[in-house]
Amino acid sequence: MLAENHLFHLFVTRLYRVLMWAALILLFGYLLVFLTYAANLIQFPFDYDQGEGFELVDTLLFSQGRWPWQDVETWPFYSSNYPPLFHLLAVPFAWLFGPSYAYGRALGTLATLIAAGAIAFAVRRDGGPGLLAPVSGLAFIASNTIYHIGPLNRQHMSMVMFETLAVVVLANMEGTGDTQKRRRTYWLGLLLILAAGYTKQLALATALAAIAFLFIRQPRRGLQMAVGLALSGGAIFLLLTLATDGQWWLQTISANVNRYDPQQALGLLQQWFGLHGFLVVPALLFLLYELYVDRLSIYSVWLVAALAVGLFSGKWGAGDSYFSTAIAATCILAGVGCTRLLANLSGKGTLRSALALLLIPLLFLGYARAVLHLPTLTAPFDSIAALLDVKPNALNGFYDSARGREGEFPPGYADIGHLTNGEDIRSGEELVTLVRAADGPVLSEDASFALLAGKEVVTNPTQLLNLANNGLYRGDALLQMLQDQAFGLIILRAGFFPGTVLQAIGENYEPDQVIRMNGFDYRLYRPKAERAP
Amino acid sequence: MWERPLSKRQLGLLLVLTGSVGVIGVLAIDLLDAGREGGLGPAQLLALAAMILIVLVGLSLLPLGDRPA
Repeated sequence: MLAENHLFHLFVTRLYRVLMWAALILLFGYLLVFLTYAANLIQFPFDYDQGEGFELVDTLLFSQGRWPWQDVETWPFYSSNYPPLFHLLAVPFAWLFGPSYAYGRALGTLATLIAAGAIAFAVRRDGGPGLLAPVSGLAFIASNTIYHIGPLNRQHMSMVMFETLAVVVLANMEGTGDTQKRRRTYWLGLLLILAAGYTKQLALATALAAIAFLFIRQPRRGLQMAVGLALSGGAIFLLLTLATDGQWWLQTISANVNRYDPQQALGLLQQWFGLHGFLVVPALLFLLYELYVDRLSIYSVWLVAALAVGLFSGKWGAGDSYFSTAIAATCILAGVGCTRLLANLSGKGTLRSALALLLIPLLFLGYARAVLHLPTLTAPFDSIAALLDVKPNALNGFYDSARGREGEFPPGYADIGHLTNGEDIRSGEELVTLVRAADGPVLSEDASFALLAGKEVVTNPTQLLNLANNGLYRGDALLQMLQDQAFGLIILRAGFFPGTVLQAIGENYEPDQVIRMNGFDYRLYRPKAERAP
Repeated sequence: MWERPLSKRQLGLLLVLTGSVGVIGVLAIDLLDAGREGGLGPAQLLALAAMILIVLVGLSLLPLGDRPA
């Protein structure tokens, strides 16, 4: 009987290892998909995701020693609604390479990899044995949302990286017996939270989570963190407001109060749970265990705060990226929870403990299946797609399990993730040629065409819309230019201009041609020969 | 007091307090903002549900006494 028990235990342990290796291999496959996508985007010279171009303009303005938060009522009507850190990090590359999306996308890719590394490190430090730590880190990259946002020239993933690093650093504060070391940990955590906040405003939730965690563990320390963040963050805020004549406040705070659609938030919440449920359930169970039985870790507090941010995804202009922080927190908490479960199971030879042991790799395998996404036309993934009988449901032969069979997805989910191809590059080049040939300035909804044609980038449409939605935009000068047909060419994609601007375009310009790039129709407008009196 | 970790009961009390203030705040939007049409909007309902959940979690922690949170 004893020998049979021993054999059974040996079998279960071996099976656990085999299944963990299977999970690792599958999740590593997603890392390859991610790197393929990143390499493809880094080589793509035009806008891919809406807004990337204006993030590049911010970087270029900083590289010239100018603020991106400007008065949108005066030429060139440009302003940004984002904090500066991501763009400042890209400035040395702008000096070296000029206007290019490559370095911003490389930075986003690197930030994603660092965040995944920090998750793996956190799980390992908490005692995560064997493959559990790398599997937890790879699970982050395997998420459909992280995959498609990571390699963009956008600041979101850098914020998530700083947030993750801050939380992982602060989690170790009590493990540091040395007062000097604990102080250093505190200041490093505070600095990383500030870095996250000045990369994107959403990091406020992580700041609150860190304060709440420290307050629960030692109220004095929590209050110190709150005061430290308020003073340092507030000082930078005040300086920026003064240095930009109030434009920093107007553009990044006042203009960011947008209409909220709860249906969009609930749709994205449902999608997030559907894709990540295999890890969300154990993470939430572990959170409940810590809340009622053990002590709350910073990871649990962080997950709650990150979920609250997720609910803000119903805001106009928001989307599934608002769940990125929750995905990072989920991966850490699921990994740490599994670590504790393994520690509790060790030495127990019961059937229940054997089943619990096997549950861990099965969760990661289930997750790997749920987040399935891959290009179906590019080697070597085409063979895998054929083997799994996966049919594309997105652009350029991409399959994404976040979408339905016909490619449908909830409002707010970013319609990206596919690889670009030669045809997209040819279309982009055609658009640049047309912009270069146009008389006078060009009003374009994406910035890359003007940047690559050597023309000035005029305005940032979504920021005009943000301001207009809050009653903070008049647009007299821009409307006058449209009335005077001062623009030789207008390029629209989604039509994210204020209604008054779209109306003026309709009155003074006429459709000329449509060029399809990257799955989107770029509608070109030329001045009307005859206008209604 | 400021050096010791919060107990489960203290955390529960804090959550009950936070959630209650939140509930009042969400309901107060209608009272203060006279220009709005009456009734709770869907976003308010979502916020209200979140606040009530916080109160309930807080209440459930109260019986757990002085164990560290």
